[in-house]
Amino acid sequence: MDGSGDVGVSAAADLLAFADAALQRDNETVSKSRRAVVTVLGEAAMLDAAAVIGGFDGITRIADATGIPLEPAKAEQTAGFRITLGIDRFQREKT
Amino acid sequence: MAIAAETRSAGNCRLCADRRNALSPATIAGAHDSAGALPPAPVETIHRIATDSGRLGESWFHRLLADGLTDTRYVELVSVVASVVAVDTFRYAAGLAPWDLPVPQPGAPTFRRPVGAKRGLGWLATMAPEDRTRDDPDLYGDEPGPRRRTGANIHRALSLVPDAMLHWWDMFEVMYQTSAQMRDFSREPRAVTHAEMEMLAARVAALNRCEY
Repeated sequence: MDGSGDVGVSAAADLLAFADAALQRDNETVSKSRRAVVTVLGEAAMLDAAAVIGGFDGITRIADATGIPLEPAKAEQTAGFRITLGIDRFQREKT
Repeated sequence: MAIAAETRSAGNCRLCADRRNALSPATIAGAHDSAGALPPAPVETIHRIATDSGRLGESWFHRLLADGLTDTRYVELVSVVASVVAVDTFRYAAGLAPWDLPVPQPGAPTFRRPVGAKRGLGWLATMAPEDRTRDDPDLYGDEPGPRRRTGANIHRALSLVPDAMLHWWDMFEVMYQTSAQMRDFSREPRAVTHAEMEMLAARVAALNRCEY
């Protein structure tokens, strides 16, 4: 993922780079992206962003390790963009 | 604490790195780089959840049960792995050193299993808010309360072990936001906005190949 594309969030590129670096455990890149988020949004926002990244790194383990399905209403609402984004392929990769 | 330590070992495990890069993890054999306190079966379980959870399937889970792991022990294990991953990733992202693992305290497990737990959602029995019996805690509202959780599928995922569920959600809502905050677009409870939080959440889920 390259972080390109307009998602309607002003600091999207910096925040996405921060998330990518945190999950990749890349020390140099995470330091650089952390500084960028602090510069653009401030230190409190960097800490809150780090907390969201950490929280969702954990909760995805719970969802995947328990086989919890998407609620039918959510699945229906998101069917189109799940295909567009390739999210449906994740199911086929399970072993 | 052994599960927590093993979760950290998974991050430096060569076998896990090779499997994560393989087309199928089943094609790569070998031994995990382990902290050494647990037998091979739980080590394999912890490492897969910690490093490649997006490719876990139900047949993998049923093999664990066939090998003797109980459903409640599995739920507790998932809860501990997820908690360690969450805290460690937060501290790494924020530029903070990892916390030392705490010293285990004396005490007995509650062995509390909700009477109203049923199969039918995901791989494990879970307790929906409407299935709660008089003998079950109100995991979504008043235990220890007030919580006002909606009972979404993800809320129910760990409900077979109430303490595991409560420990996770009490921590997660501090890192993210509560159900009520999530739906209140008139207020921003954090220094990042709702939109920024959801964008980050979606990115992390995609990187972890999480369908939910």
